[in-house]
Amino acid sequence: MSKILNNIKLYFSFLQASLKEMLVYRLDFIVGIISQIITQAVEVIFIFIVFQNTENLAGWSFKQVLLLYGITLISVGIKTFCTDGLYEFGPKYIKEGEFDKILLRPVHPLISIFGSTKEFVAMGYLVLGIAITIMMLIELSIPITVVLILKILFFSIIGAIIISAINTIFSIASFWTYRSNEVIWSFDRIYTLAQYPLDIYSAVIKILITFILPFAFVAYYPTMSYLGMNKYMIYISPIVAVILWIIAVKVWNLALNKYRSTGS
Amino acid sequence: MQFRHYTIYKSNFWLFTFNRIIEVVVYISVWKAIYNQTGDAGGFTINQMVTYYVLVTTIKSFALWGTNEDMAHSIRNGKINKELLNPLTYFEYYFGINLGEMAFAFVIGFATFIICSLIWGITLPINFANFLLAILVIILGIPVTFFIQMIVGTVGFYSSSIWGMQIFRKSIISIFSGVIAPITLFPNWFQNLSKILPFKELIYTPVNIWLGQVQTSEIIFVIIKQILWGIFLYIIAKVFFNHAIKKITINGG
Repeated sequence: MSKILNNIKLYFSFLQASLKEMLVYRLDFIVGIISQIITQAVEVIFIFIVFQNTENLAGWSFKQVLLLYGITLISVGIKTFCTDGLYEFGPKYIKEGEFDKILLRPVHPLISIFGSTKEFVAMGYLVLGIAITIMMLIELSIPITVVLILKILFFSIIGAIIISAINTIFSIASFWTYRSNEVIWSFDRIYTLAQYPLDIYSAVIKILITFILPFAFVAYYPTMSYLGMNKYMIYISPIVAVILWIIAVKVWNLALNKYRSTGS
Repeated sequence: MQFRHYTIYKSNFWLFTFNRIIEVVVYISVWKAIYNQTGDAGGFTINQMVTYYVLVTTIKSFALWGTNEDMAHSIRNGKINKELLNPLTYFEYYFGINLGEMAFAFVIGFATFIICSLIWGITLPINFANFLLAILVIILGIPVTFFIQMIVGTVGFYSSSIWGMQIFRKSIISIFSGVIAPITLFPNWFQNLSKILPFKELIYTPVNIWLGQVQTSEIIFVIIKQILWGIFLYIIAKVFFNHAIKKITINGG
C-alpha cells in the first residue's frame, strides 16, 4: 500500500514540473484553450440543432442531454489534464529511446509517463464542463447541495480513471508501433458515443459501451443518478474503474516484459 | 511521396476508417431516434439523412486534411531553407504533398463509404450527371482548401501554436461546411453567411447534388463561385507568404 502511495506522490511532483515547463509558453497556452473550446462548440451546436427538431431524445430533454455533456466534459478534462502523457509514449519515449531512462527510475514507468503530461489545455474542458453542469443543474432545478457537489466530484474523478485505464490498455500498442497515439485516440474517442442517451443506439453499440469499453460508466450512469432516473448503476462505476485498472496494469506489465529497446 | 509515407503504416488505414465510422455512428443514431419519435428528420427522409452523413464522412477528409501542419513544422525547425531551394516553387512543392494527402483521403473515404453503405444502406445519386457534377465540385474545392492551408501554415512564421491554429481551421470548416448537420437546419443569418463563404461547397453542396436537391442553375453559380474563391485565396496566400518570407530573411541576416 505504501508503495502505491509513494508512486502517487511522485506522480504529482512530475506533474508539477511539467506544468512549470508549460507556463513558459503562455500565449500558446491561451491559444490552445480557446481552440479547445471551439472544438467543443461543434458538439454543442449539434445538440442545439437536434433539439430544434425534437422535444426529447429517447426521453431525455435538451437540458438533461446538456447536463450529461457537461458531466462528461469534466471527466474528460480531468483525464486529459492528468494522464494524456500516454499520447507521448510511442512517438517520444519509445521512438527516441527515452523510455530506457524512465525504466531506470525506481517508480513504475507508467507514473513517469503520466507525470510528463503537458495537456494543460484541458483547463478549457474543465471550465466549460463545470460551467455547463452548474447552469444545467440550476435550469433543471436540481438543488445543489454539498452532497451533490461531492458526488459529482467523486464520480467525475472515477470517470477520468475509467477513461485513462482504457487508454492505458491501448497504449501498449506503443511497444509495437511508434504511431500508438492514433491507436489510443481511436478508442479514446468512443467516449463521445456515451454523450447521448444509450437508448438511441442499436444493441451492439449498447453492449460495446456498457460492457466491452465501459464508457457508459464515465458520465452516463452517474448523470442518470443525478437526474433521479437510475439510482443504483452509478455505484458500479468505482468497481468498473478498479477492475479496469487491474487489467490495465497486468496487460501493461506483460507487454513491458516483452519489450526490447530500440537502441540495442 | 506523402502517400507512400502513409501506406507504410497500414494499420493507420484501418484506424482512420474506424474513426470515421465512430464519428458517424453518433449522428446517424441521433437522427434515427428523432425520426422514430417524430417521423421527420429535419425535413429529410431518414434515408436521405443517413446518406447525407455517410457522404459527409466520406468526403470530409478532402476538406479537413492537408499540409499546413507539415509546413508550419518546417518553418519552425528550419527545414524551410532546404525546401525553398527546391527546383519547384514552394507552393508547387506543397501542392504535390497535398495531392498525396488527398490520395490517401480518397482511399480512406472509399473504404468508409463501402463499409457505411453495407451497414446502413444509402440512396444512390439520382442520375449519373449529378454524380459527375458532385465529383467536379469536390475537385474544385481542393485548391480552395489548399490555399487556406497555405495561409494558416504561413501563420507559423508568427506564432508557434501550430496545433491551435490547426484545430481552429478544422472547427471553422466543420461548422460552415455542413459536417455537423445540413446547413438548412441552421439559423437564417448563418445560412446567408455560408452562401458567401466557400466552405459550404466543400461538403454540403456536393452531397446535395448527389441527393438531387440542387437546381442546375445553382450548380453553375456554385462552380463559378468556387473558381473565384480559388483565385482570390491564391492571391492572398501568395501575398501573405511573400511578405512573411521577407521578414524571415531580414531576421536571418
